[in-house]
Amino acid sequence: MKKLAYCIYKEFKILIRDKAALAIMFLMPMALVFIVTIIQDSTFRSVNETSVPLLFVDKDKDSLSENLEKALEQTHFFEVIKKEISVEETKKLVASGKYLIGIVVAENTSKKLRVKASDKISKLFSQTNAVTDTSALNIQLFFDPITKQSFKTSISGAIDRIVSAIEMQSMGNVLTEQLKESATPGSSSVTFDTRPLVTTVQEYATTSETTLVPNATQHNVPAWTMFAMFFICIPLSGNIIREREDGSAFRLLTMPGSYLTVLMGKISMYLMISLLQFVLMLCVGIYVLPMLGLSALQVGHNLITLFIVSLSAGLAATGFGLLIGTVANSQDQAALFGAVSVVILAAIGGVWIPTFVMPAVMKNISAISPLNWGLEAFYGVFLRGLALSGIIFQVIKLLLFFVACVSGAYFYQVKKRMS
Amino acid sequence: MSQCLANIQEVSKQYKNVARPAVNSVSLCIEQQSIFGLLGPNGAGKTTLISMLCGLFKPSSGKILINGFDTVSQSNDAKTCIGVVPQEIALYAKLTAWENLMFLGQMYGIETNELKKRIKENLSILGLEENMHQQVQTFSGGMKRRVNLIAGILHLPKLLILDEPTVGVDLQSKMAIIDHLKKLNKDNEMTIFYTSHHLHEAEDFCSHIAIIDEGKIITHGKTLDLIDSNDCKTIEDVYLKITGNRFRD
Repeated sequence: MKKLAYCIYKEFKILIRDKAALAIMFLMPMALVFIVTIIQDSTFRSVNETSVPLLFVDKDKDSLSENLEKALEQTHFFEVIKKEISVEETKKLVASGKYLIGIVVAENTSKKLRVKASDKISKLFSQTNAVTDTSALNIQLFFDPITKQSFKTSISGAIDRIVSAIEMQSMGNVLTEQLKESATPGSSSVTFDTRPLVTTVQEYATTSETTLVPNATQHNVPAWTMFAMFFICIPLSGNIIREREDGSAFRLLTMPGSYLTVLMGKISMYLMISLLQFVLMLCVGIYVLPMLGLSALQVGHNLITLFIVSLSAGLAATGFGLLIGTVANSQDQAALFGAVSVVILAAIGGVWIPTFVMPAVMKNISAISPLNWGLEAFYGVFLRGLALSGIIFQVIKLLLFFVACVSGAYFYQVKKRMS
Repeated sequence: MSQCLANIQEVSKQYKNVARPAVNSVSLCIEQQSIFGLLGPNGAGKTTLISMLCGLFKPSSGKILINGFDTVSQSNDAKTCIGVVPQEIALYAKLTAWENLMFLGQMYGIETNELKKRIKENLSILGLEENMHQQVQTFSGGMKRRVNLIAGILHLPKLLILDEPTVGVDLQSKMAIIDHLKKLNKDNEMTIFYTSHHLHEAEDFCSHIAIIDEGKIITHGKTLDLIDSNDCKTIEDVYLKITGNRFRD
């Protein structure tokens, strides 16, 4: 125990004098959380706060185009800009990227809609089989080629809903007129209520009493904390290789006692660092991000579970660093492999893109990333409000990964020396 | 004949994918309180032999006993008897000389007050007292070598193994190191196993010398006996006579 304490103290002294390693371990993750949260938060806001530029070309100048324009403005999704231009000019402006969406309502669309609605209602009342025009009326939508499919789908859906409501309104108006005409004189006035009968009520599903609200902060702080924790493999592996290159490891290996004590000293020190990183990131989420106008991180009430998750994630990260430091031949090799492997594990683990939008193959691959296990465990606590029992499998996987890495490093070294 | 503190018995080391063994059937007896010099060209097998002596590498065949303990099966007991001064400056550059020595001494399990006393004593003898609270990375080559030496002797080992302890240092540092080693050998009955390319230094310093080439011990014996039996004037002459002028690396 005493030797372990000396090893930890030695690592502490070396680390606090290594400015570059401190920057990698503390400043880089903080910068990542700031930048990514601000970007994601502003993206989220842009969709919700009237900033998608929409070119509206009204050739109809009647009820349908007027209602459509009004409805688009009321959504607060779009910044509606009206122009008196041709269809070709509309296409050109959208293609140039000046507008994300262009809408052209052709001449007499309202008139045609009224005729079609009238025909349909009349047919209903007269029970005739008269042949009417069954072709649909078109409202032309143009999208900027850079628009992502998911965004295009959601915008088209929103516009379709508006158009359907207008269509329904128009049918309702005709029906009201027809009913008025067929009603006996002196009866009370007839009005067809076109307000929707069914609306959707949205809320995040949760099985606990949590009041946690998913937002950019709740997603990004745990994601980038995991990323930062695993980046500890670079200074840790560098430390191990430096010790090997300058002969210190040679000297330590010639001393009585197990070299495992020296390794445990490194693991303990770097585990403390990763826990400190975690606390620092929580503080950034709770206190600093709100100063920048972002949502504050809500930690929830499962603090012990949160500690267990961060401890197991920290152990997995230090174990990974230890393995890289043992197997790599040089500091350059360890730094390159460490950085690239963490980026790959983060990418497949869902740090940047959530795993649920990944193709099936990638979803299966993401299940082998320790960053994914840690992230899922953190999301369980931060977003789902789960207790330890709800994330126990992720915690066990992280701990097993740590044991596998340390055993691998130890036996690799023993085998190398004794072969 | 004095008792062997280190007994190297028919030791060979064969690395994977290398045709020639790095060490080939080496047998040596390093007598108690002797200063044993192992000389040889680059790639002769000196460092491999030292690594096996320290229990770091397992011999492919043969065995090494240190104070009667097998370096493989009783590695912990064997390690308690040795102190090592590697060729590299095996110190933490960002720690001070004091911090380095305190850490290494504590890893040997030396009691703190005794350790502090030994560190102060050694730093004083080797002229480093005033610099003990400076980071090692600010030291000159000679100063680093002297701290490197102290790190290997703090626990007063029975057998001190030195791999080129004076390489790249000025004459003053070299003399300080050699004098201190001679004192340790005499006053503390410390057996010294030493490798070097400085043949004059080895001749002056070592009571016994072995010359190794291509993994094999070519000759060994008491320093003066080797010079006489080869009809030479110096160890350098003996060395050149035996190993020739051919490059080995």
